[in-house]
Amino acid sequence: MTGKLQKSVLVFSLCLAAAASADKKPIFSGFALLGGASQPQGAFIAEPVAAQLQMGIDWYPSPALGAHVHLVGRTDGGDSKHGVLGIAEAFVEGNLFSDTSRLRVRGGILFLPTSFENIDALWENPFTISSSALNTWLGEELRPVGVDTTYFNNGFMLGATIFRGNDTLGALPPVRGWALSNRWTLAGEKVPVNSRVFTSVSAETDSRLGWSARGGWTGRHLSLQYSYLDNRSDGLRYDDLYNWNTKFHIVGGGYHAGAWTFAAESLWGPTFLVVRGRQIVSDISATYFLMSRQFAHGRISFRGDVYNDGELQDEALTLTYMWTPTRELRAAAEVSTTGGTSQVRIQLRYRLKAR
Amino acid sequence: MRLPAMLLVLSFIPILASPAELTIELRHDGGDLVSGALVYAVPDERTSAAEAPTATMDQLNRQFVPHVLAVQTGTAVQFPNSDNVRHQVYSFSRAKRFQIPLYEGMPPEPVVLDKPGVLTLGCNIHDRMSAYIVVVDTPYFAMTEDGKATLTGLPAGSYSLHLWQPRAPAASQAQRVTLEPSEKLLVTLQTD
Repeated sequence: MTGKLQKSVLVFSLCLAAAASADKKPIFSGFALLGGASQPQGAFIAEPVAAQLQMGIDWYPSPALGAHVHLVGRTDGGDSKHGVLGIAEAFVEGNLFSDTSRLRVRGGILFLPTSFENIDALWENPFTISSSALNTWLGEELRPVGVDTTYFNNGFMLGATIFRGNDTLGALPPVRGWALSNRWTLAGEKVPVNSRVFTSVSAETDSRLGWSARGGWTGRHLSLQYSYLDNRSDGLRYDDLYNWNTKFHIVGGGYHAGAWTFAAESLWGPTFLVVRGRQIVSDISATYFLMSRQFAHGRISFRGDVYNDGELQDEALTLTYMWTPTRELRAAAEVSTTGGTSQVRIQLRYRLKAR
Repeated sequence: MRLPAMLLVLSFIPILASPAELTIELRHDGGDLVSGALVYAVPDERTSAAEAPTATMDQLNRQFVPHVLAVQTGTAVQFPNSDNVRHQVYSFSRAKRFQIPLYEGMPPEPVVLDKPGVLTLGCNIHDRMSAYIVVVDTPYFAMTEDGKATLTGLPAGSYSLHLWQPRAPAASQAQRVTLEPSEKLLVTLQTD
């Protein structure tokens, strides 16, 4: 973590510790993961053996005010810098409300609320071990640092985000390629794009603010959402960070009835960097379709992915079985295949009791 | 009063006390039957607050169950979490504002709904979860199934009949009905 970030975390943690003595105590929750995967290749970038601990700290002393911190510690630092221990998300939240509507304002570093598969606390995916190419990318390269406002009214939702950081968003798909993973970048972490440059959700080098807007509707069973994002980056290189100017649309939907869940999202848009005064543009896109059924002590999910890095298109199929003998314990096995390559993943998750 | 006259008067008491039954048929303007709407009859002579057992709004497969829960004023509502993920349930509605912080299983205390009105529920973790609790000042309410709902055990008297549905929350129509003892009445309501 950078020095500035470390100080922020310390102040934030001291505030939460002080709150622990207050009438409404923070709630500590989270889970431990132990995973294994067959040899990584292509889009399958999981480490052979890896462990991680994810913790959430939530303090909501009143319906109008709250705070949340999501901490991650893991063994697979991989080739990243500052990726072993850190913050995935941290924000304070305020709410204004009327009889039927709610205005929620969050300030901090947060996941953009677009995903139809990473729907649980701590941005967890309850359906599959690896997320789709679309949400793997958002988990790796996008984490708005700013203010997010959401208005809810009778099933309708409008949201907007103004953010700093994320200047390098867009580097991974055209250079490294799309991936199917469950590794979320931390604040201050530098993820390698190639042997010379990195991407970082904390990268703020051009003093430009990015923005995002979204709108959606949720009925009894069906949810639909449209989102747009523009990071307004200058596309220039700053030492080992190369900025990419990225804009994209996301259309997504989910259908939930009884034990069945269906979800689909599609993302598309241009991303460019500037080399010797010339824009190098890649039109990237990713789409997935998910089908999942819950059983008494488990779940089976099937997902299809299609993704394009601006030059080549590829597809992947993923089948996941999850067994949950108790509330706390979950064992999962997954096989993904794309073209001629396949990967098998296994995972053991133990959920910590909320305190 | 002489015994035969007394017996004659007493013989009418069961008829006077026999509850009525009201069946409501709900249709769209176009004629289609409407299901999933709440109908309730408020007597002119108000009843006392509920002595009903606790009502339940569950969370299962990341959805509130049921989507619309009707309760009488004064009912204590439990919010069990039957999912294997945690939820954070809230209502910001004037009828009752509350928040149950991140939890699993059964929260320690139910929420007593002591004011009539509509509660819009949400989960602060799962933004797309929503449900409604409609708190009414009467024990006579039911949800329409296949376009019909039957209210039973209504004492004879006058009632105002109301309708509430999620897609038209402000459209609470009121129609007056008067029920005789033992009467079985069918009323057709129309909605947009």
